[in-house]
Amino acid sequence: MKKLFPLLLAIIASSLLAAGWSWAGGGRDYIYIVGSSTVYPFATVVAEEFGRTTRFKTPKIESTGSGGGFKLFSAGPGIDTPDITDASRRIKKSELERCRKNGVGGVVEIKIGYDGIVVANAQKAPRLKLSRKILFLALARNVPSPDGGEHLVPNPYRRWHDIDPGLPDFHIRVLGPPPTSGTRDAFAELVMMAGAESFPWLKSLQHQDKHKFKEIAESLREDGAYIEAGENDNLIVQKLATDMTALGIFGFSYLDQNSDRIQGALIDGVEPSFENIASGRYPVSRPLFFYVKKVHVETIPGLGEYITEFLSDKACGEEGYLADRGLIPMPAAELARYRKTAAELEPELKLQDLE
Amino acid sequence: MITTIFGGLLLAAAAAYITGRGKARRLSDQEKLHSRPVYHGAWTGLAGLLPALLLVCTWMAVEGPVVMRLTAAGLPESIGRMGPAATGLFFNDVRNLLTGAVGPGQVRPEAVAAAAAWRHYLRLGRSLLAGFAALAMAAGWGFAICRIKPSFPARDRVERIIRVILFLAAGVAVLTTVGILFSVLFEALHFFAKVPFSDFLFGLKWSPQTAIRSDQVGSSGAFGMIPVFAGTMLIAGIAMLVAVPLGLLSAIYLAEYARPRVRTVIKPLLEILAGIPTVVYGFFAALTVAPMIRDLGASLGLDVASESALATGLVMGIMIIPFISSLADDVISAVPRSLREGSLGLGATRSETIRRVVIPAALPGIVSGILLAVSRAVGETMIVVMAAGLSANLTANPLKAVTTVTVQIVTLLVGDQEFDSPKTLAAFALGLVLFVITLALNVIALQVVKKYREQYD
Amino acid sequence: MNQNSRPQTVSTAAIVAAGLRKRYRAEKRFRRLGIGAVILSLGFLLLLFGNILSQGLPAFRQTEIALEIEFTPRLITADPARGNYRALARQALQRAFPKVRKRRAKKELYRLLSNGAAFELRRMVLADPALVGTDRRCWLPADDLVDNFLKNPESGKKRLSPRQLAWLSQLHNQGRLALRFNRFFFTRGDSRDPEMAGILGALCGSIFTLLVTLALSFPLGIASALYLEEFAGRNAFADFLEVNINNLAAVPSIIFGLLGLAVFINLFGLPRSAPLVGGLALSLMTMPTIIIAGRAALKAVPPSIREAALGIGASKVQTVFHHVLPLALPGMLTGTIIGMARALGETAPLLMIGMVAFIVDIPRSLSAPATVLPVQIYLWADSPERAFVAKTSAAIIVLLAFLILMNAGAVVLRKKFERKW
Repeated sequence: MKKLFPLLLAIIASSLLAAGWSWAGGGRDYIYIVGSSTVYPFATVVAEEFGRTTRFKTPKIESTGSGGGFKLFSAGPGIDTPDITDASRRIKKSELERCRKNGVGGVVEIKIGYDGIVVANAQKAPRLKLSRKILFLALARNVPSPDGGEHLVPNPYRRWHDIDPGLPDFHIRVLGPPPTSGTRDAFAELVMMAGAESFPWLKSLQHQDKHKFKEIAESLREDGAYIEAGENDNLIVQKLATDMTALGIFGFSYLDQNSDRIQGALIDGVEPSFENIASGRYPVSRPLFFYVKKVHVETIPGLGEYITEFLSDKACGEEGYLADRGLIPMPAAELARYRKTAAELEPELKLQDLE
Repeated sequence: MITTIFGGLLLAAAAAYITGRGKARRLSDQEKLHSRPVYHGAWTGLAGLLPALLLVCTWMAVEGPVVMRLTAAGLPESIGRMGPAATGLFFNDVRNLLTGAVGPGQVRPEAVAAAAAWRHYLRLGRSLLAGFAALAMAAGWGFAICRIKPSFPARDRVERIIRVILFLAAGVAVLTTVGILFSVLFEALHFFAKVPFSDFLFGLKWSPQTAIRSDQVGSSGAFGMIPVFAGTMLIAGIAMLVAVPLGLLSAIYLAEYARPRVRTVIKPLLEILAGIPTVVYGFFAALTVAPMIRDLGASLGLDVASESALATGLVMGIMIIPFISSLADDVISAVPRSLREGSLGLGATRSETIRRVVIPAALPGIVSGILLAVSRAVGETMIVVMAAGLSANLTANPLKAVTTVTVQIVTLLVGDQEFDSPKTLAAFALGLVLFVITLALNVIALQVVKKYREQYD
Repeated sequence: MNQNSRPQTVSTAAIVAAGLRKRYRAEKRFRRLGIGAVILSLGFLLLLFGNILSQGLPAFRQTEIALEIEFTPRLITADPARGNYRALARQALQRAFPKVRKRRAKKELYRLLSNGAAFELRRMVLADPALVGTDRRCWLPADDLVDNFLKNPESGKKRLSPRQLAWLSQLHNQGRLALRFNRFFFTRGDSRDPEMAGILGALCGSIFTLLVTLALSFPLGIASALYLEEFAGRNAFADFLEVNINNLAAVPSIIFGLLGLAVFINLFGLPRSAPLVGGLALSLMTMPTIIIAGRAALKAVPPSIREAALGIGASKVQTVFHHVLPLALPGMLTGTIIGMARALGETAPLLMIGMVAFIVDIPRSLSAPATVLPVQIYLWADSPERAFVAKTSAAIIVLLAFLILMNAGAVVLRKKFERKW
C-alpha cells in the first residue's frame, strides 16, 4: 500500500498535466451550428456525410429552436458564437438589426427547401379533418363569442366536439412548440392569422389596428389545452404515438419518418403529403433556411465546403438523401440561384430585403 | 516544453532532496539532529520546488493572453482596427495554424506572419520561464542547504507545509458551497429584480415561455412556482408511497427474519437498484411503465395522461427503495439485542417485538432516512425529464401530467443561454428553491437524529 | 372453591390459546409482508433488467446484405477520399436486380441499403487502395427498416413495400441477407442512421470526463478527509466544514450543473460541451462522497494504532502518513470507485453545460466537444427512429456492465484488504 500511494499520486499528477497541456492547444477547427429543431435532422445528416467524406471535422450542432438560434447567432462574430444558424422561418428584421448592432457583419441567407407544418395524432385514433378556422378556435386564448357577437371571450371550448360536431369527442390537447421555435412563428402566421381572418369583423380590425389583431390571433391558450412541449419534436412524436387523444404540431419530416405510428390531419381538406406540399396545395408550408456569417467562412476550416455539400445534388436535389428524410426540394432554378449565392457569398442580406 | 520544465523541476527537487539528506547525514555523525535526515532532504527539495512551481503555474495561467497581446502589438494596423471580435477570429486562424488544423496556404498571409510571431513569443516566454524557474529553484535549494544544522527543525517545517496543503484541500468544499450560492443566488436575484418575489413564491400560474423578440406574441410570462412545486411534491409523494412501505418492510425482513445466507445474497441485489443510473430509470419509465399504466387505465375506463405523475412517481419509488431499506437496515441493526431479548422474554412474538419495541427505538433514524429520501426524490432530474410532463397543472390527480422544478430548470436552460430574460433566470430561481428545500430537509433530518436518538451504551 | 376456580383457569387458558392463534397468524402475516416486499422489490429489478436485455440484445446484431461490388476506378476517381461510393453501392444493387428500371422502383431498391454502406466502402478503399479495379463480395449494412423487418417480421413488414419484401426474400434465398455481429456499434460515434450509430464516441467522452473527475476529486477528497478527521480538532470551523460537506453530498446533482454553467462557462469562459468542464462539475459533485467514505475509513482505524505510534515518539503527521493512511487507503479507494461509478452514470449536470450536442467524431482531447454514455442514452431515447430504442437499451447494457465492473472492483478491494480490529 505504501508503494501504491506515490504511484497513484504520480498518475494523477501526470493526467492533470496532460489536461492542462491539451487545453492550452489550438483554436476552433470545427463548424458550430445552432438553430431550428425542424432543420436539425437535415443539418445533422449533412454534417455526418460531410465529416465522413472530407478531411474536416464533423460540425457540432445544437438544437435550440430558430429564435434561440438567432439569439446566439446575432450575439456577435467570434469563435464562441455559431457560424451557422438554421431556421424554419425567415430571419426577422429585429434579429438582423441585432446582428448589425453586435457587429456580426455580412450575413448570407440560403434556402434549403420547403417543409409543411402538420397537425398529427396517433395512427390508431380517428383521422381528423380540420381547418385553419377550427385550429384558431381551438387554440387561441380569446376567441370570437360563440353566440355570433362581435366581441372576444376567453376560449370556452373544451372538446373538439364543441367546435364542430363532426369532430370526435376528445379533450382539446395539443402539444406544440414554444416561442423559441420557428415552427411556432410559422404556425402563428400561417394558421392562426388565417383562422382569425376567416371572421369578417376581425379581418376589418386587421386593417385598423394591425398590432391588436396580431395579438388576438397569435396568443395561444394557457389553460392546458395547448402544451408547450419544448424544442424536442421527437419527444412530441413519442407522446403522440402512445396517447390517442393528443395532437401535435411539428414539421413534415417527423411525420414522414413515423408514418406507421402517427397520421397527419387534413387541413382545409388537403392531406399533408410530399406531393401536396411540393405543389403548394397544402396550405401550411414554409421555406427552410440557414444563415451564414460571412467573416467566419474564411476562418473556420470547412465552412464553405459544408455549405456546398448542403446544396449539392446528392443532398438537396430531387433524388438527394435529404429528400429521403422528408425535405421538400426546391425547384431547380431556385436551387441554382442559391448555389450561386453560396459560392460567391453574395448578395448579403439587407434590411430592406425583409420588408 | 512545459512538460520538460516540469520534469526538470521534479528532477532538480529530487537532487535537492538527496543533497539535503546527505548533508544532514554527515552532520548526524557528529551530533544528534533535531529531525531525521529525510526531513532535511524533503525541506531542501520543497524549498526549491514550491517557489519554482508557483512561478510555472502563474505563467501557465497568463501565457495565452500575454502571448496574444504581444503578437497583436506587432501586427499591422489594419488588424488592430477590426475590433475585438474580428481580432478573435483572426487569432482563431493563428491558433489553427499552430496546431496544424489548417495549412499556411488556406489563411491570410498576416495570419501566417502572426503565427510565426506567436511561436517566437511562446518560445521566448517559455525560455525565460525555464530560466527564472531554474533560478528560483537554485535559490531555494541553496538557501535551504545553508540553513541545515543539527538544531534546525526541518520536520516541523515540512509538517507545517503538509498541514497547510491539507487545509487548503478541505477549503475546496467551502469554495464549492460558496460557488453554488454565488451562481444560483446571484442569477436568482437578477430574476427577482424583474419578477417580484411574492409573485414567484405564491403565484398560481407557471407559463414562462415568453416572447423572445419584441414583435412576437408569446405566453403571458407567469412565474408562479406553486404549480411546479405542487407537481414536484405530488411525484415525490407517490414515490414515497411506493418506497417507504417496500423499503421499510424489506429492511425489517432482512434485519430480523432472514437467515444470514439469504441476507448476504439479497442485500447486494437490492443495492443494485440504487446503483442504476437515473437515466436508465427514465428510459424505463417513459417507454415501459407509462404506456403500461395508460393502457391499464384505459381498460378500466380511466383517462390517464401518457406522462402521468403515477408512472413517474412509481419508477422514482423503485429507485428509492434501496435508499430507504439500507438506511433503515442500519438503524434497526443498531437497536441493541437486549431490548429484543427483553420483549421476547416477556412472551411477545417476533412481529410484536418489532412493531412495539424495535421500530419505536429506531424511529428517529427511520424518520431521518425518509426525509433524506424525500430530498433525493425532489432533486431527481432524469426520470422526470424523460417521463413527466412539461405543462404546469395544479392538480392532485396522479393520473394527470404534472411538471417538476428540475424539469423546468432543464427545459428553460437547454436551448436559450442568454442570461438576460426572466425566462432563463427563472431556472436559477428554481434552482435556489431546490437548493433551499434539500438543505432544509437535510438539516431537519440531522436534527431529528441528534435530538431523539436514544443512547444505549 | 376448587370447583369454582377450575373452570376459570380453563377459560383463561382458552383465551390465551385463542389469542395465541391470532397472534401467530399476525406473526405469519407480518413475516409474509416482509417477504412480499423483498420479492416485489427484486421483481422490479428483474423486470427492469429483463426489459432492457430483451430490447437491447438484438441491437448487438445487425442486418447486412452481401453484394458483388465492382470497385470501378471511374467512380472512385484519382483521389479515393472523395470518390462517389454511394454510386458504387447503387451500381452493385442494380447489378443484383437488373430488372428494376423504373425511377420509383430504383429509389425503393436503393433504400434497402444503409447510408453507411457508402462510408464502409470508402473505409475499405482507403485502407486498401489495391481494391480499386477489382470485384469483391462485400457485406454491407442494411437500412434500419430492413433490420427491423428481420428482427420483428410482423411489425417490420408494414414499413416496407411489397416490392422491397420480394427483393429481400430473393436476397435471403441467395444467402445474401443475414444478421451479423454489429461491429459498428463499438467502433463508431453517433449517427443519424440508427444502423450506423455507435457508442465509441460517448465511451471516449466518458473516459475523458472521468479522468478529469478522478484527477481532481481523489487527491482533494483524501486530503480533505485527512484534514477533517486527523488534524482539524474540535472547533467551530471544523464543525462548519463538516455540516458543509454533509450538505453538499445531499445537494441535487442538477445544481452542480447550474454551478458549472454559471461559473466555469460564463465566468471562466471554458469551452461548452467539453469533457474538461463536465469533469470539473462532476468532481465537485463526487468530492463529498469521497470525503465521507475517506473519513469513515479513517475512523475505522483503531485509536490504538495512533496511540502506539504517538507513544513511541512519532509526530502527528508521521503517525497519520506512516500508519493510519496506509491502513485506511483500501477503504478510501473503495469509496473513490463508488464515487466514480456514480459520476459515470450522472446525466443531469452535463445537460446544463451543453454536452447534449450531436457529435459524430470521436473526441481526442479534453476540450473537444464530446458527450458521455448516459447523455448518449438520453439522446437516443428521444430519437424518433424505432431502431434507436434497441440502441438505447444496448448502450444501457454497456453502461451497466461498466458500473458492475467498477462496483465488483470495489467489493474485491474491500474483501482483500478488509481488516477486523
